[in-house]
Amino acid sequence: MLENVASAVIIPSYETMNSALESLHTNAIAFSANVDATTLSNLRAAFVDAYIQFQHSKMFNFGPAEDYGVKAAMDTYPTDTASIEANITAGSYILGSAANIDAIGLPALDYLLYFGGDMEVLDQFTTAPAAANRKIYLTDLTLKMKSEFQPVVDQWNGTYAATFQEADGVDVGSSTSLLFNEFVQDIELLKNAQIGIPGGQFSGGEPLQEMVSAYFSGQSKTLALENISGLLNCFKGANGLGFDDYILDVQGEDAQTDLAADITAQFVLIEAKLNALGSVFSEDVMTNYSGFNAAFLEIKKLVTYTKTDMASLLGLLVTYSDSDGD
Amino acid sequence: MLFSTIRFIGNGWIEDFYIEPDFHFSYYGFGWLPYPSPSLIYALFAGLVVFSVLIVCGLFYRLAAIGFFIVFTYIELLDKSTYLNHYYYVTLISFLLIFLPANRCFSLDVFFGMKKKSETVAAWHLGILKFQIGVVYCFAGLAKLNSDWLFNAQPLKMWLHTAHHWPLVGPLMTQDWVAYVFSWTGCLFDLSIVFFLLSRRTRIYAYGFVVIFHLLTWLLFPIGVFPWVMIVGTTIFLSENFHRKVLQGITSFWPGRSQISASLIENIRPSLKIITVSLLSVYVLFQLTFPLRGYFYPGDIFWTESGYRFSWRVMLMEKAGSAYFYLRDPETGKETEVSPGEHLTALQEKQMSSQPDMILQFAGHLQKKYADTVITTGHSTFRMRNPEVYAEVYVALNGRRSQLYVSKSRNLMAINNDLSPRIWLEEFKE
Repeated sequence: MLENVASAVIIPSYETMNSALESLHTNAIAFSANVDATTLSNLRAAFVDAYIQFQHSKMFNFGPAEDYGVKAAMDTYPTDTASIEANITAGSYILGSAANIDAIGLPALDYLLYFGGDMEVLDQFTTAPAAANRKIYLTDLTLKMKSEFQPVVDQWNGTYAATFQEADGVDVGSSTSLLFNEFVQDIELLKNAQIGIPGGQFSGGEPLQEMVSAYFSGQSKTLALENISGLLNCFKGANGLGFDDYILDVQGEDAQTDLAADITAQFVLIEAKLNALGSVFSEDVMTNYSGFNAAFLEIKKLVTYTKTDMASLLGLLVTYSDSDGD
Repeated sequence: MLFSTIRFIGNGWIEDFYIEPDFHFSYYGFGWLPYPSPSLIYALFAGLVVFSVLIVCGLFYRLAAIGFFIVFTYIELLDKSTYLNHYYYVTLISFLLIFLPANRCFSLDVFFGMKKKSETVAAWHLGILKFQIGVVYCFAGLAKLNSDWLFNAQPLKMWLHTAHHWPLVGPLMTQDWVAYVFSWTGCLFDLSIVFFLLSRRTRIYAYGFVVIFHLLTWLLFPIGVFPWVMIVGTTIFLSENFHRKVLQGITSFWPGRSQISASLIENIRPSLKIITVSLLSVYVLFQLTFPLRGYFYPGDIFWTESGYRFSWRVMLMEKAGSAYFYLRDPETGKETEVSPGEHLTALQEKQMSSQPDMILQFAGHLQKKYADTVITTGHSTFRMRNPEVYAEVYVALNGRRSQLYVSKSRNLMAINNDLSPRIWLEEFKE
């Protein structure tokens, strides 16, 4: 299973993510060299593509990705627009500092590229007083992401793939345990951060539209759907050996229930519930409590299936405890 | 004990288990125990190391034994999420050591002349240790007499599967029949081993089985030092002759070597008899009855866990849960979910999610923590005056699918966390 997950799921998703980040940076440079509607539109397309690819690789947050702190640096939201503006005005900043964790990454780009109408955005990069600084901030962000992700891919293509396959078994620290823990944690993140918090599950039923992912570009629905499909792909090991086959192997053929099939079906159900939501979460969440609640409950069921049934059957231990937000 | 303490410190478990969490699951009736500061905890562990070194050397033996017992028990009582049967065993043995004269021979107390040397021990000294070990095995065996263990070979079927990647034996471990062989052998072993150890003729073979059995469990399961404790502990059953030879072997490196006398066992001095016998009887009676209390509760003990701890139910079940907690303000009817992970360590959350008393304790903790607070998420704020706490918990037991354990319809604040039957749990479906 580990061999297949590494070669058919993790490495391909990392390769795609890596080239998406390269293209994002190239487009950011092209845009800052020549700010106009076309380069902006190209840059935005590259941004959406990178954000989508990230939904397929963020759940492998162990080994090199964990060492480089990729998940938090790429996708901590809601982004802090005030500190982004302060950084731009000041013109000097340390992007890797803890204080700037919510002023960098994809959510920061989301703000820079979509905070207003096309003309407003273009103005900020051309005629506004801090336009030059803003262009530098933009390319600093894309360069940071690109250069931090590159070594992760390099290590997987180098020695880490073998390290990953050799750490077999299910003990704490084994690759299966790492993969499983990040897998479940990412499902919980979907439940809480992408759906639950905006949907009012943590605020006495009051919807919080500013808490959706990709608030400014309105891509939250796409991202949630891509995240679910990325998680399912991980569960199934693409078309090869994955968690589903492992579950089938342990529960035996005479089992009265088929956990692997139930989990797969639950993924499909969640996808349907997400699809039923309005296309812009930050708007839909204000009027569609029941829709968000329904999606939330189905994701919760998936958390239970994986965190309890699957963990118990495979002898895996849940070793993380922080489950709230990015 | 020395080894175990050092292992505990070496693994960084002091930090993880006793200092990092900001909430601790106290034992029923021991909630009043003060919680020590981080530096005091380190001091206590250092104390354990010192006491166990002193016990091994036989220096200030009785004081060290008392010290070890008190400190070890105190640390164990701090948080039940670290409960293990073998810690309870260590507590009991260290309690017994206080009354045993293990410093009479071959000790620094004798060497420095603080204790008169004696090469013999009273029969009851050995007897009570044998009894204690016998209790562990017999109750562990009794507890295995349940349908999951015998007729489904669970949880062993699942646990053995985790060794599927082993060279040579890996494929064997995934066979159902192997799980049944392990289950039945383990059960018969626990139930009968003490009697074979007691019999002079079978003793040496029985000890061989003890070593093999515990080495196997050590290899297969992550159960720490327990196998080693039992392998060393059961040597108490071996003949006087064996112990004499071991002592002689060690003594030969000792300055001013001494001869070990022929018989090591004497009878109790008559003057001590009545008081010793009555105290012993109380201890023995307690050990024989206390582990049985679980059988008097209604429902499945794996499900309710009433009387589960301190009853030698060792490596018996695979239980995991997912627990979701909710705070509701009764005045406004507003409700919010709370992630246990924000308040507990991974170990605490795992233990809490499938143990009823801990679920109630955690609910009580949330109630206290959020009473009269303002909860802020994003731009939303709302005040909780006297929140009700609800939980929706799912538990999977011994390879079954997860089922509802605690229903969200029960206000957990209205339930007393006591020793009465846990009728507030959902019914267990086989």
